[in-house]
Amino acid sequence: MQTTTVSPQDAPPDAGPPAGARPGRRSRRATRRAVSGWAYALPTAAVVALLFLTPLVLVVWMSLHHWPLLGNPTFNAPQNYSELAQNNLLMSAVWFTLRYTVIMTVVLFAVSLGLALLVQNPRPGVGLLRTAYFLPAAVGFATASLLFLGFLSSAVGPVNPILQHLGLISAPVDWISGSPGGALGSIVTLVTWRFAGFNMIILLTGLQAIPVELYEAARVDGANRLQCLRRITLPLLRPTIALVLIMMITGSLLAFDQFYILTKGGPDDSTTSVVMVIVREAFVRFDLGSAAALSVLALVVLLILNVLQLSILRRRNDS
Amino acid sequence: MFRTRHLRRAVSAAMAALVLAVTGSACSSGGSGQPAAGATTGVTITMWTRAGTQSQTQALIDAYNASHKNHVVLTVYPNEQYPAKIASAAGAHALPDIFTSDVVFAPNYVSQGLWADVTSQFNALSFKSDVVPSFIRAGSANGKVYAIPHALDLSVMYYNKTLYKKAGLDPDKPPTTLAEYATQARAIAKLGGGVYGTYEGGNCGGCVEFTVWPSIWADGGQVMNAAGTQSTIDSPQAQAVLQVYRGLFADGTMAPAAKQEDGTTWLGALENGNIGIAPGPFSWYSLLKQKGLDMGVAPIPGVNGGQSTFIGGDVAGISATSSHEAAAWDFLSWTLGQQAQVDVIAKASEMIARTDLADNQYAEADPNVLVGNQVLAKGQTPYALNFNASYNDPQSPWTTTLRGAFFGPSLTQALATGQSAITSSLQQQ
Amino acid sequence: MSTRRTDRRPRTYRSRRAAGKLGYYTTATALAILFLFPLLWSGWASVRTSNGFGLANYRNMVHYGDGIGTYLMNSVEVTALTVAGTLTVSLLGGYAFGRFRFPGKNALFLATLAILMVPYPTILIPLYVLLGWLGLQNSLLGLAAVLVMFQLPFATFLMRNAFEAVPQEFEDSAAVDGCGTFATLSRVMIHAVRPAVVTVGLFAFLAAWNEFFAALILLNSSDKFTLPLAVVAMEGRTFGSIDYPTLQAGVVFMAIPCLMLFLVLQRSYVRGFMAGALRS
Repeated sequence: MQTTTVSPQDAPPDAGPPAGARPGRRSRRATRRAVSGWAYALPTAAVVALLFLTPLVLVVWMSLHHWPLLGNPTFNAPQNYSELAQNNLLMSAVWFTLRYTVIMTVVLFAVSLGLALLVQNPRPGVGLLRTAYFLPAAVGFATASLLFLGFLSSAVGPVNPILQHLGLISAPVDWISGSPGGALGSIVTLVTWRFAGFNMIILLTGLQAIPVELYEAARVDGANRLQCLRRITLPLLRPTIALVLIMMITGSLLAFDQFYILTKGGPDDSTTSVVMVIVREAFVRFDLGSAAALSVLALVVLLILNVLQLSILRRRNDS
Repeated sequence: MFRTRHLRRAVSAAMAALVLAVTGSACSSGGSGQPAAGATTGVTITMWTRAGTQSQTQALIDAYNASHKNHVVLTVYPNEQYPAKIASAAGAHALPDIFTSDVVFAPNYVSQGLWADVTSQFNALSFKSDVVPSFIRAGSANGKVYAIPHALDLSVMYYNKTLYKKAGLDPDKPPTTLAEYATQARAIAKLGGGVYGTYEGGNCGGCVEFTVWPSIWADGGQVMNAAGTQSTIDSPQAQAVLQVYRGLFADGTMAPAAKQEDGTTWLGALENGNIGIAPGPFSWYSLLKQKGLDMGVAPIPGVNGGQSTFIGGDVAGISATSSHEAAAWDFLSWTLGQQAQVDVIAKASEMIARTDLADNQYAEADPNVLVGNQVLAKGQTPYALNFNASYNDPQSPWTTTLRGAFFGPSLTQALATGQSAITSSLQQQ
Repeated sequence: MSTRRTDRRPRTYRSRRAAGKLGYYTTATALAILFLFPLLWSGWASVRTSNGFGLANYRNMVHYGDGIGTYLMNSVEVTALTVAGTLTVSLLGGYAFGRFRFPGKNALFLATLAILMVPYPTILIPLYVLLGWLGLQNSLLGLAAVLVMFQLPFATFLMRNAFEAVPQEFEDSAAVDGCGTFATLSRVMIHAVRPAVVTVGLFAFLAAWNEFFAALILLNSSDKFTLPLAVVAMEGRTFGSIDYPTLQAGVVFMAIPCLMLFLVLQRSYVRGFMAGALRS
């Protein structure tokens, strides 16, 4: 519909500033453009400074104080941090969050990549398939969690009747709150359903950037599908895979909505995530200082993790 | 246009917050919170409550609005989300003029300074010494009163007389000991066909403390010290009581849904009419009656007899940030008056908050209500600052403890570890 | 091209291909049904009533709490403010980052992208305090401002790429016509980056319309609730039982605008993704 379609491949590697500056008039024009540039960037700068950098400073400041809901904060460092060590719920939440992150990332990645490989090549009807897989991603996550609250429930959900009909289970199962395994399984199913299509699309963009000639050459050499996947697809897809993995890991470490809505952290705290503990510290225990301390820790851990991931990624790209 | 309207609204909100902050601090420094002259009529008062006690609150508001120039507007929140809503609204200085609270959470709100001091207004009431004392204690600190009773509730045993007859039990002989309760429940469970002996909130800290602690009290036990800083759940009394429930879960006398019951479908389970006998809140009595169930009400017994109840329900107070303190007090004091207590609350078969009005015409008409009134004198309202985080929250140590006691490998072990976990939660600053 | 090649292969190979094709479509269709099934079930459950089918659940939902109209209007307001705010800030920012050179440009760009690295709750607790100081507590404008901030990394990134990709001649010819930098943006450039604008707008719409966690923390009176908060509250409304059918009516009500918009704008959405994904 648009003649000037923005295609990344066409874009200059770094357009940078317009190179139209001629010697002589260059400096004054450059200054004028710098001022304009700043003026256009000002709203961004304002939002970033006020709503991002200020809260970052504030959260560190809060973590050093006893911060009541009403009334004046009092300095109490490092109490908010030292008390975290005695928080048993936090310890189990950290352990669960790590376990959840590993399971979720493996399952979601496998399904996403499988779907992407399935709809990679143009065939009749493939567009419809892609839309079908992607459609759940258009539903909001909180909405999807509510949907699954009914979908998996033993009261009205269709899952138990179907499984019973197929003879897979003999009696209705309370998937969401019946057992820790069932609760985790419910969450993994929900997240996979909601995000597999989304990640499929991203992987698909990476797949389509791989030149078809490579596959043809490999096939001429007598390589089978599995060999193609291992020798061509996966290595060349590595940057996209890295992006998808970073998003999955970060998203899993910070998971909240699905636990809050679907399992409420249960049964027996078995699905209580770190973010749920942060919210509990703030709004059940009314301890904003402790919630802030926990937030700062989460921030530090996540930053280290991101730096690690990026450096591993860079090293691999160099080799 | 959208934006300017919002900007203007934002600016006016900022101004309002400023005004609130100024007047709020003026009130608290004044100590007594003198009613501002002329502010008691024609005022719109905002009020929040939780779904659990909504019907009582709404009935009071309807009666007040019909007879007064002030107008109270009620907003209701789901039970489980309500404490967090109060907390986040308080932190944002966005509390309504009046908010209610589960009585056991009140000490925390008092210590957080969320309610305005109403000591002098309360002391001016002619019937102040007849107002349920345990509720006044929960809403007070350092001799000052911040919240008053709003909706009372008790825990009682409900037994289904129809099922009792079917099982060959005497519908006029409810259990007098916890052992009898278990025996009768097991007799009902034998009926089969979707009928179960009993029910409990097996995944609900609030439900279990409300219905099981009275048995411990009836046996002379306590669940924590008077200051609410030390758990004593690892006691012989608690052990004996929980052992009875553990057995009922183990042999299937409990309906299967009871194991995961987090409180949301508790009433629904009793309303189905398939449960023989189960403890529950007295406030459900009229709802169960409406369903056409022939329900008997009995006091909750201890293992060896005796009886007690958890005096629960809500207190209400004026927000520290309210600018309609006088009008809000006008409403609150009216709710404790004879007209509101008898013609609104007692008429609806609910518990009243004044001991001097216990023998009213509505109570005398229904023997089941009389049972409630009688057991009131033997009841307790536990007091602890960190009540919600220690007992009611789904992630609380008490929830872990009761799950271990009901379903874990060892009841003794669950109570021992539970006691220390609850104590450390109670002592958290 | 592969089909052309198979034509020359022996018959057994072709029948094996046919079997493979059948297997492929069976698997792929089964998966498609699996992915669509929850959505279809939700729609079905929302119109099922105790005596057949009807709109009773929707009627329940409409009359919930302050009336669904209030929550709908709140959601529309938050969404409109977020989309407008995100587009304005990222369009100007993308223009600045994509076509200008100024001191601190890289630092600001990196700071904007760093928003992605910070855990959501980390920043919401102080934002909740900060908005209180600004007088924006419990306000839809405050929530929208926060959502704009969360949208900014992706939106700015995409916009910058789009602006960088516009050929220099566009700008030069505008300059020859005597346009200032703003006129260049509003008359020429904006048309060139329209696909990115659609993608950013769509992203902002979906994010704001569906936002739950930030709304849960930042809004606290029910007259300010957005749809997701209201529908989650519905779960705990009917004392004594969970009203699943009404809940599903709420789910369908929230999902329909997103699904429609997605189906209509599917191509730009996916294209926006590709541009963003390939660049990083």
